[in-house]
Amino acid sequence: MPRYLLKRLLQTVLTAWFTVTVVFVLLRMAPGDPAVNYAPPNPSSEQLAAVRHEFGLDQPVLGQYLTYLQHLLRGDIGESFQFRQSALQVVLDRLPYTITLAVAAIAVTALLAIPLGVWMARRGNTAGELGANIATIAGQSMPDFWIGFVLLIVFAVNLQWFPPSGFTSMSSIVLPCLTIVILQVALVSRLVRREMVTNLNAPYVTIARSRGVSERRLTWRYAFANSSIPVVTALGTRFAAMLNGVVIVEVVFKWPGVGELVVDALERRDFPLIQATVLVTVVLALLVQLLVDMLYPLMDPRVRLQEARR
Amino acid sequence: MSDLAVSPTRTAVPPKVLRRSAAARKARYSTIKMWVGALCTGVVVVPVALARVLPLPDPVHGVLRETSLPPLSPGHLLGTDPNGRDLLSRILHGGQTSLLIGLLAILLSGLIGIVAGAAAGYFGGWVDTVISRLLEAQMSLPLLLMLLLVVALFGPSILVITLVIAIAQWPEPARLTRALVLVEREKPYVAAARVLGLGRLRIIARHIIPNILSQTLVVVLLLLAQAVLLESALSFLGAGVQRPYPTWGGIISDGRELFVTGAWWLVTIPGVAIALLVLGVNLLGDGLRDRVRRAKAVTS
Repeated sequence: MPRYLLKRLLQTVLTAWFTVTVVFVLLRMAPGDPAVNYAPPNPSSEQLAAVRHEFGLDQPVLGQYLTYLQHLLRGDIGESFQFRQSALQVVLDRLPYTITLAVAAIAVTALLAIPLGVWMARRGNTAGELGANIATIAGQSMPDFWIGFVLLIVFAVNLQWFPPSGFTSMSSIVLPCLTIVILQVALVSRLVRREMVTNLNAPYVTIARSRGVSERRLTWRYAFANSSIPVVTALGTRFAAMLNGVVIVEVVFKWPGVGELVVDALERRDFPLIQATVLVTVVLALLVQLLVDMLYPLMDPRVRLQEARR
Repeated sequence: MSDLAVSPTRTAVPPKVLRRSAAARKARYSTIKMWVGALCTGVVVVPVALARVLPLPDPVHGVLRETSLPPLSPGHLLGTDPNGRDLLSRILHGGQTSLLIGLLAILLSGLIGIVAGAAAGYFGGWVDTVISRLLEAQMSLPLLLMLLLVVALFGPSILVITLVIAIAQWPEPARLTRALVLVEREKPYVAAARVLGLGRLRIIARHIIPNILSQTLVVVLLLLAQAVLLESALSFLGAGVQRPYPTWGGIISDGRELFVTGAWWLVTIPGVAIALLVLGVNLLGDGLRDRVRRAKAVTS
C-alpha cells in the first residue's frame, strides 16, 4: 500500500511537470508580446525593454524555463504580471469558489443520475425508457453556455428568482450549478444504465432471483453494488474535470472562480498566472483521481491496490 | 424493417407476440432514433448547405432601418440584430463555417485515430507503448484550457481551429480502433493472409480495417456532434473565427450583451440550431451503433 501510494504520487508529479512544460512551451512559442499589456500607453522601445527585463522575458527561453523550474522546486510559482503579487495567492483566492461550485454540481448530479440510470435499466425497452433515452441524448446535445443563457433569461431576468451573475448570496450558485448538472446528469445516467443492464443480465442475478431474492434487493444490493466502481470512477473523473475549470459556466455567470480567472489571464498574456492556474488545478484534479482510486478497496474487497494497475 | 434478430419464418411463436418481444422493440426503437435523428440533422444541414442559393438578405451588411426586429417580422423570419442583419441568414451562413470546421476536424481526427489505433493494435511493442502513452498524457491535460490557449495564442483561423479540434478528438477513434484490431488480429483470416505472404500494411489496410470500419465510423460520426459543440464553445469564449464571418457560437456571444434589453432571440435561436444538429447527429449515431452491434452479433 505505501509503495502503491508512492508510485501514484510520483506519477502525479510527472504528469504535473509534463502539463506545466507543455503550457510553458506553448506560451513562449506564441507570437505577440505580453510586455505591451503592462507598459504605459504608447510605450517607447526602452519602456518595453524595461518591462520585459522586469518580467525576465529578455532571457533566452531555455534559461527562463530552468529558472522557472528552479523556483518551482522551492515552492515559488512566480508573480502575476497584472496583480503584482504571488500568482499562487491569486489562484488560491479564487479556488474556493470553483470548488464550491464543483462539489455542489457533482452532489446534485449523483443524486439525480443514479436513480435515473437505474430506472432506465429496469425499464429497458419500454416507451418511457425511449423517452428518457432521447432526453438524455438531448441533454448532452445543448451547448452549456447556451443552457446558461436560457436559464439566465428565464430565471434571472424575467422571473428574477435568482441573481443573474457574480457571487452575491448563496442563491447565486443555483443557476451555474443547474447548468452544469443538466449535461452531467445526461452523461452519468447513461453510464449507470449501461452498467446496470450488464449486471442485471449477469448469471448471478438470475440465480439470486431463482432463490427468491426480492427485485428491489436484486437491483440495489446485487446489481448496483457491482456497478458502483465504474460509476464512482466516472463521478470522480467528472469532478476532477470540473476542478480544471468549468470555464464556460463561470464566464457566463461571471462566477469568480479559476475558470474566469484563466480566461482573463489568457487575454492579458499573464504568463505566471496562467501557469499557476494550470498547475494548481491539474495537481488538484490528479489528487482527486488518486483519492477515488483509494476508495476502490472499500467498495469492493476483491480489489487490492497493488494490482489496481490494470 | 430491420428484423435481423427475429426472423419470423423460423419460429412457431405468433407474429403478434414476436412484435412485442424485447429484441423487436429494441430494433424498432433504434429505427425511431435513427429517423428522428436524420430528421433533426436534415432540418439544419439542408438549409445550411443551400444558404448561398436561398433568397436571403446579406449576413454581413445589415439594413439600418430594420434593427432589432423580433422573429416573424415581414421579410425576416427569425428577426434581426441591432445592426439590422437578418438572423436566419446569419445562422445559415455561420452554419457553413461551423459545419465545415466540424467535418474537416472529424475527417482529420478519424484518419489519425484509425491509423494510429490500427498501428498500435497490430504492431504492438514499442509502437503501442508510444501511442498509448501519448493517449494517456493527453487525457491528463485540461483540454478546453489547452485549446483555448492554442487558439488565443496562434490566432483563430479556420485552419488552427480545425487542427485544434482534431487533436482534441483523435484519442476516441484511436482507442476504439486499437481495441478492435487487437481482437481482429487473432482471427483465422488474418493468419491465412499472413500465410499467403501478404505484407503487414496490406493486411491492415485491405483486410482488418474493412472489417472494423463500420463500428469506427459510427464513433467518428458521433464526434461530429462534439466538434460542433467544441467549435461553438471556442467561439463563445472569443476564440472563434473572426467576425464579421459569423459562426454559431459567435452569434450567441454577440447576443449575450443584448438579451437583457429584451432581444432574447439573438441568443436562443442560434442555440436551438446547434442543439438540433447535435441532437440529430447523436441520435443518428446512437441508432446506427445499436444496429451495427446487432448486425455483428448476428453474423458472428
